[in-house]
Amino acid sequence: MTIQDDQKGLGRRGFLGAFAGVGAAAAAVAVGTGGVQEAAAQETDDEKRKARYQETDHVKAFYRTNRY
Amino acid sequence: MARMKFLCDADRCIECNACVTACKNEHEVPWGINRRRVVTINDGLPGERSVSMACMHCTDAPCASVCPVDCFYTTADAVVLHSKDLCIGCGYCFYACPFGAPQYPKVGNFGSRGKMDKCTYCAGGPEADMTMAEYEKYGANRLAEGKLPLCAEMCSTKALLAGDGDIIAEIYRERVTTRGYGSGAWGWQTAYQESINV
Repeated sequence: MTIQDDQKGLGRRGFLGAFAGVGAAAAAVAVGTGGVQEAAAQETDDEKRKARYQETDHVKAFYRTNRY
Repeated sequence: MARMKFLCDADRCIECNACVTACKNEHEVPWGINRRRVVTINDGLPGERSVSMACMHCTDAPCASVCPVDCFYTTADAVVLHSKDLCIGCGYCFYACPFGAPQYPKVGNFGSRGKMDKCTYCAGGPEADMTMAEYEKYGANRLAEGKLPLCAEMCSTKALLAGDGDIIAEIYRERVTTRGYGSGAWGWQTAYQESINV
């Protein structure tokens, strides 16, 4: 199963979960709208590799106090 | 571009294991997994040394080289992360890693390993930043919040440094030039005399 498969429609793993406990009517709506369990948003290849480190005041305070 | 690194000042580490506890709590790490551990050599003897160890986020990571499903990737910050959706739990990375960083949950039947878990440098995973899906699989994404790994931030003796490799190397250099070679702990010479070479 690729990551892309996870994003569209009702996931293989979430399919039975959609029927459990919510009733047939709700499940029918769920199938129509893509399932009750939304697939987790995956980042694109560039997004997941982008730099997240920022030299915020919080980080600067860490550097400053470690110099003592 | 800043390169994220850990640096443990072995002269300052007192083996309190607070970094281990903080990591487990911050990321709700599953039972049986320690993303960070404190290793002590010469335990109980003069000259005892402790080092806090986790994934060292290698430049040419051996775990990534051996992974048959290529689930590892390196971010622009030089943080080595992996995708639990792709991981098949083969255990090759565990054998390849010189630091024992990759860990497996001990909950499977019949020797099944489950998904590999390791230190993420508090940078989450391939799911969208700061979502519940990311938190459940990889833990908090402190780097995206503009913070540094919690293990280093709450180290009581400031032994564990994290952040831009150039900056923490400079901080460590300043410490060494100030205190000289060996331990800077007050009373060290009184307790152990000159005979202990560290």
